[in-house]
Amino acid sequence: MTQDQPLLAVQEALRKCFPVVEEQQGLWQSSLRDCQPLLASLSNLAEQLQAAQNLRFEDVPPLRAFPDLKERLRRKQLAAGDTVLDKLGERLAALLKVRDTVSRHVEQVLEIYGQHAGSIGVGAVLQASAASPSVADMLEWLQDVERHYRDSYLKRKYLLSSIQWGDLANIQALPKAWDQISEDEHQSLVQDTLLNVSFFLEE
Amino acid sequence: MGRWVSSNPTPHQPPEHHLTSGLALSASTPGLAPVISGACASPASGRGARCTRFSGPGGVPARLSSVRAFLCAMAPESGSFPQEPLLKVLPLDPRDRGTQRCRLGPAAFRTLGAHLGSAVKISLPDGGSCLCTAWLRRDGADGFVQLDPQCASPGTAVGASGFRGSLSLSSLRLVPCPSLRLLTVWPVLREGVGAPGAMNPAAVLEAAQELLRNRRVSRGHVVAAPPGAPGPVAALHVVSGAPNPDPAGLVTPRTRICLSGVPPSEAKPPPPEVPLGGLSEAADSLRELLSLPLRYPRTLAALGLAVPRGVLLVGPPGVGKTQLVRAVVREAGAELLAVSAPALQGARPGETEENVRQVFQRARELASRRPTLLFLDEVDALCPRRGGPHRAPESRVVAQVLTLLDGISGDREVVVVASTNRPDALDPALRRPGRFDREVVIGTPTLKQRKAILQVITSKMPISSQVDLSLLAEMTVGYVGADLTALCREAALHALLHSEKNKDNPAVDEADFLEAFKKIQPSSFRSIVGLMDIKPVGWEQIGGLEDVKLKLKQSIEWPLKFPREFVRMGLTLPKGVLLYGPPGCAKTTLVRALATSCHCSFVSVSGADLFSPFVGDSEKVLSQVFRQARANTPAIVFLDEIDSILGSRSISKTECSVQEHVLSVLLNELDGVGLKTTERRGSKSDQQEFQEVFNRSVMIVAATNRPDVLDDALLRPGRLDKIIYIPPPDEKGRLSILKVCTKNMPMGPDVSLENLAAETCFFSGADLGNLCKEAALLALQENGLEATTVKQEHFLKSLKTVKPSLSHEDLTLYENLFQKQGFSNLEDI
Repeated sequence: MTQDQPLLAVQEALRKCFPVVEEQQGLWQSSLRDCQPLLASLSNLAEQLQAAQNLRFEDVPPLRAFPDLKERLRRKQLAAGDTVLDKLGERLAALLKVRDTVSRHVEQVLEIYGQHAGSIGVGAVLQASAASPSVADMLEWLQDVERHYRDSYLKRKYLLSSIQWGDLANIQALPKAWDQISEDEHQSLVQDTLLNVSFFLEE
Repeated sequence: MGRWVSSNPTPHQPPEHHLTSGLALSASTPGLAPVISGACASPASGRGARCTRFSGPGGVPARLSSVRAFLCAMAPESGSFPQEPLLKVLPLDPRDRGTQRCRLGPAAFRTLGAHLGSAVKISLPDGGSCLCTAWLRRDGADGFVQLDPQCASPGTAVGASGFRGSLSLSSLRLVPCPSLRLLTVWPVLREGVGAPGAMNPAAVLEAAQELLRNRRVSRGHVVAAPPGAPGPVAALHVVSGAPNPDPAGLVTPRTRICLSGVPPSEAKPPPPEVPLGGLSEAADSLRELLSLPLRYPRTLAALGLAVPRGVLLVGPPGVGKTQLVRAVVREAGAELLAVSAPALQGARPGETEENVRQVFQRARELASRRPTLLFLDEVDALCPRRGGPHRAPESRVVAQVLTLLDGISGDREVVVVASTNRPDALDPALRRPGRFDREVVIGTPTLKQRKAILQVITSKMPISSQVDLSLLAEMTVGYVGADLTALCREAALHALLHSEKNKDNPAVDEADFLEAFKKIQPSSFRSIVGLMDIKPVGWEQIGGLEDVKLKLKQSIEWPLKFPREFVRMGLTLPKGVLLYGPPGCAKTTLVRALATSCHCSFVSVSGADLFSPFVGDSEKVLSQVFRQARANTPAIVFLDEIDSILGSRSISKTECSVQEHVLSVLLNELDGVGLKTTERRGSKSDQQEFQEVFNRSVMIVAATNRPDVLDDALLRPGRLDKIIYIPPPDEKGRLSILKVCTKNMPMGPDVSLENLAAETCFFSGADLGNLCKEAALLALQENGLEATTVKQEHFLKSLKTVKPSLSHEDLTLYENLFQKQGFSNLEDI
């Protein structure tokens, strides 16, 4: 029984870690959902800016009466855009928090495994039953999940940092690029992993 | 839900008795591996359904692998296997890309004493190494290894899909991996990231931190960013750290990362040199351009010299222009930016120019790091001759290229090399110093160059000692480097497929090369106009005309076959031969026999090939025929019915007909001032050796039955210098023709060909053939289909119906033509 002790410790750590991942995945998804309308409004703003740029105000008689209309309009639109960007920044921070939380927990599990690694044989690591996957697999999945959050966050961060008001076409394409990121990555990775360990967690 | 089931480790040890039988089989016949695996699978049929799901990522079924693993494990006992178990390298699972994992089987895991995630340093067969974390294979199969070379020594090719082979377990080494306090890296930035803001150090540092997070690194290794990942960093060279990450160190969130300003000092090992056969002179001039400003920058500055920065490579397709550039670049350690000019073309107006600008911009970016060579392949597509209506878009592109070239010469960093096989189609403004300063003509290789090329190609092939490369080089006239490569490949394939007996060490011998020689034609040959496949005709199949045959052999076959003797006797090679004579007297058949006996390329041009409804097209086609014939020497160009192809300036009164243009082209080709520069062979400085004379021999054979309408200029020595009259057959000739014609006919005993020959005055060879045919038909007609022999009476009967096509008047016409023009004798008839 003493031989199983280290293995049990690792399994215990895993049992603690997966619920955290599940919880964080909920946060992640809701943050992503919140971003969607913000990006759409940003894209709309870009379109408005574009339209205002293309319009020659002096040629339109009703608008001629307002002085500096073009500049004022632009300032207003940019201010609105900055507000949206600030909100997006908050969402991004939420994503970063999810990422860091998951990273920390995964690191802890790996650390616990590292401490006991010497006393757990390869056979024990590989041992799986109908209800519980092997420890090796679960550790691997955790690493994959952590990497998934990291990659996904990084891609989104780079996308948002590429926003420049000089490049309106780019901003208009933002919602599409955002969705593209979700499509490119292995979307159901976290869900799949959680499903795979559901019996293990219920034990 | 089904995923973890498949990763359930199963006991992969088949029952004992199967193993022994498998081993017995393998000891006797090692080639029976599939059979063994089948034998193993059938008793374990209960597991079969699961096994199929276990197929590994490399497409190797797990049960096969288990057998192999077993064989590996049993190796020490059997004795015939190496001591170390070999791990087969499989391509990486896509899911593992960028994870730095190294997937191993449980046995290897136990042997190494590794646990999940321990750092493993792997020495690769090519001398490099990479650092990975050990993980178990999902299917638990042994005997395989999958590597993600994210942290590897520079230049390793594990990631490339081409990497196959096996590693012995001893090349895997478990290394301690302490956490690092400090790490210094040198970033390699991604090129073409447009925004200049992306290059600021803070962004780079952040990207580096992200890339290095939780990685195991080793000093001297390169951590590569996965190809799809965003960010300004493409790779990071690990320079140093504390504690020293040698052999390995772990980057934790607490590790401080510094960017190093200088690239790692250790120079890359010189890449293996790929020798270039026969291109040394062109390579020299390119090398000079690349390395002069590198080696002697101060001297050049002191002299106030602007180094030439542009080279135009001209040569037919396949001579190795692109290869030459690549080799020189590799040698000089420069960066190569190779662009194919057609790829730059855009659909929208202005897109092409933009692409061109981007390419030059990119070259300049690269050049800020190290010497760069921008290679524009097929530049004629990009820069055609300007002017003319509807060519404004092209003109804009050309203008853009010109400006960029001028701009480039200012900073003297980028060498621009362009290659084309149609230099005449280029805009002339490109071809001046300051843009393309030098033009290097790489011609079709000469004999010596071909030999050099063959030596290079065959240096890695196991060729038998009997193969005479000089002979092979002599045979392969007109072959360019690409053709020679194809030839050698074909020969090797032939050796592989057809030599059953020595499968273990196949050697390519002479016969293989000859067999390949039949299949591979020179590439310049493929598009040639009027290339003929002729039915071989031997000299002996033509009756009579012995002296004409001799003359033909003298004036055509000998110069082509024995050029050395001609050089020794101080003879210049004759240019051409005109055969004339009444119709039906075997002029064409003679030429056919000539082509058969000469074994050279034979090009026959008729009016159908030449004439086209477009003005100037006929002339172009004719000159193309000659150009291609010159590329494939020795060659015979045969112009049948030359009187219809060419007009005569002296006789026809209409001015400037197409025929006259064609005539003038032919006169020029026969006796022009020189060759085009693009057709040059070898180098300019070379003295013309007799081998090269051999190369230049293109012989023109023309045939006509109306020599009186030919232009006088054509008939002078130096053009068609030998004029041979093909007389109608005399009695002796007719006899031999009859003999040839009746060779396959069952003749009655009473047939006297001598009598027939005496009676058939004024019969041409064609008439005689017709006569024999008629007689045979008559025999069939009279005796029904059971006729067995042709008798004399049939011949006599058909003689009454078949009339000679020649007449005395015709012959005197030819005769008079002779005497008027004072040609050679006419006593043969």
